[in-house]
Amino acid sequence: MASTHAMQRRAVSPYRLMRTVYRAFIYVTVIFLAVVILIPFFWMLSTALQEEGDIFAWPPQWIPDPPMWRNFPDAWNAMPFNLYLGNTLYIVALGIIAELASATLVAYGFARFRFPGSEIVFLILLATMMLPFHVTLIPTYLIWQKFGLLGEFDPLVLRAWTAWGPFYIFLLRQFFMTLPRDLDDAAEMDGANWLQTFVYVMLPQIRPALLAVAIFGFRGYWNDFLGPLIYLTDMKKYTMNVGMYFFMGGVNEAPQWNYLMVMSTLIALPVLVLFFIAQRYFIEGITFTGIKD
Amino acid sequence: MPSHLATFIRWLLVPVVLVGAAALLYVIARRLFKWNGRQSLGLALVSPWVFGFLVFTAYPLLYSFYLSFTENNLFGRTKWVGLENYIRLFTVDIEFWPSIRITLLYALLSLPIGVIGALLIAMLLNNRIRGIGLFRTIYFLPAVLPEVAVALLWRWMFNSEVGIINYVLSPFYKLFGIGTPDWFGNKDFVLAAFIIMSVWGIFGTNTVVFLAGLQGVPRALHEAAEIDGAGAFRRFLHITVPQISPVILLQVVMGMIGALQIFTIAMFVRPTSAAGKFMNQLVYERGFSQLDMGEASAIAWVLFVIILALTLLVFRSTPFWVHYESDVRR
Repeated sequence: MASTHAMQRRAVSPYRLMRTVYRAFIYVTVIFLAVVILIPFFWMLSTALQEEGDIFAWPPQWIPDPPMWRNFPDAWNAMPFNLYLGNTLYIVALGIIAELASATLVAYGFARFRFPGSEIVFLILLATMMLPFHVTLIPTYLIWQKFGLLGEFDPLVLRAWTAWGPFYIFLLRQFFMTLPRDLDDAAEMDGANWLQTFVYVMLPQIRPALLAVAIFGFRGYWNDFLGPLIYLTDMKKYTMNVGMYFFMGGVNEAPQWNYLMVMSTLIALPVLVLFFIAQRYFIEGITFTGIKD
Repeated sequence: MPSHLATFIRWLLVPVVLVGAAALLYVIARRLFKWNGRQSLGLALVSPWVFGFLVFTAYPLLYSFYLSFTENNLFGRTKWVGLENYIRLFTVDIEFWPSIRITLLYALLSLPIGVIGALLIAMLLNNRIRGIGLFRTIYFLPAVLPEVAVALLWRWMFNSEVGIINYVLSPFYKLFGIGTPDWFGNKDFVLAAFIIMSVWGIFGTNTVVFLAGLQGVPRALHEAAEIDGAGAFRRFLHITVPQISPVILLQVVMGMIGALQIFTIAMFVRPTSAAGKFMNQLVYERGFSQLDMGEASAIAWVLFVIILALTLLVFRSTPFWVHYESDVRR
């Protein structure tokens, strides 16, 4: 009895050893890559806090000495970023509200109603996800020119009412599809019309999806560069990103790197904070559809 | 401020118009098509998207095709010139071929790195180790960073004089006796720099999608194979890969389309134009700096055809490697 036990232990131990080595390898790799990911973030912050003279130190200075906190207000005030932040938030707010309202209704329509040709319409919607944005760019620009709205915020926010993010519709539809039909039936049995069913029964159920769309929408409008770049011509109407583009300076100008890193940090900050608060919805949204941006 | 208010008022009017249009469509469907209430309601509900699609996607798509055969400078009249834009692009334009070259090379080289890399990272994060939640958060950070910040940060790190990338690599330069490269200034290094930057994209959304895919693979399959004596690598090849192949397909298609459309990062990184500009940069420049809408449309359409062809190619290949759970051979 005792001898078989000993034999077993001897037989098991190389396997144990392999497991330990394997686990150690996993730990080392995971930690190493995490450090690799964090270094650029650290470098961004470090440069942001350096004096102009220290930026070009060789070898590079990792810890700013002394940290120039003044860089933050200085960079921010080098251009009218207060104004640009206001414009950006204005666009973000109008865009998200319109997008949420329209995409939810359209997704509900696709999830719960059938009409002749509805499958084909949905397939076309999916196909538009593969359409390169630039191919419709110029005619869209000409449309807004005809409306006389070039230079206004309108081209950036009005279109959101037509649920123009196929990704959001898809995400919301997938969520609606998971809700049991019994919910609708019960509501209808109680005499609710479709709007009441939608508002009081369906919407509370898909709150995580709505949050995910709001978060992605925020990120989308906050990060948008091409749209504001071509439509906003008046300097007073620039968004953060367009402001950044001109803050970077001309082709032959040497950028002021500490200020640019300050602004990069500040531009990243809202999205990073949002991510930390709502990580669950971010990840849920992505895994539910398997598609990003 | 007055223009903010004007936009706001127009922004309030649009949904009113759309609801009106939807109601009209509902009546038409009921009366003219004799659809029942639910069918008509369904049409009315999806109608905002349909209107948006017709006005802002279908019409512009066809119109840009038409524009590519014309000369249009935004203010004058549109003049039909036939194939002239395309002929000029393909024969005399000195920026066009380099642009196709760098765009295609970037997409084709960054894609496998992105997909395989993301899969490997996802497998790493699929291990049950201590603090995995924290690591997953860290690994997702690059995806959260706005493109503008990503571009500026990398441009700074690639800086030829004091960038940390050259600092880290300087021992290698000395070892192999090569000079310090000017990554975005030297046309031989631009592509490499962009591909290194794209590795950053391995982390983040792709990884999350793969992770979800991996967690959906039934454990029973792995256990059965283990009992049959299959090693880790064989299990990966014959169980994991087929099981998540639909996810891989999605990543390949979306990754490819995304890579071919690279724009914002390139605009902020501002590489030397000697290496070629990415196609979308060319569309922007020709269209909005030189106001040559015809030529810009032609370039956009070439890009569109490239994307379409490559996507079809990928889908054509799916019977050979994508495995669907509910696969019924027809």
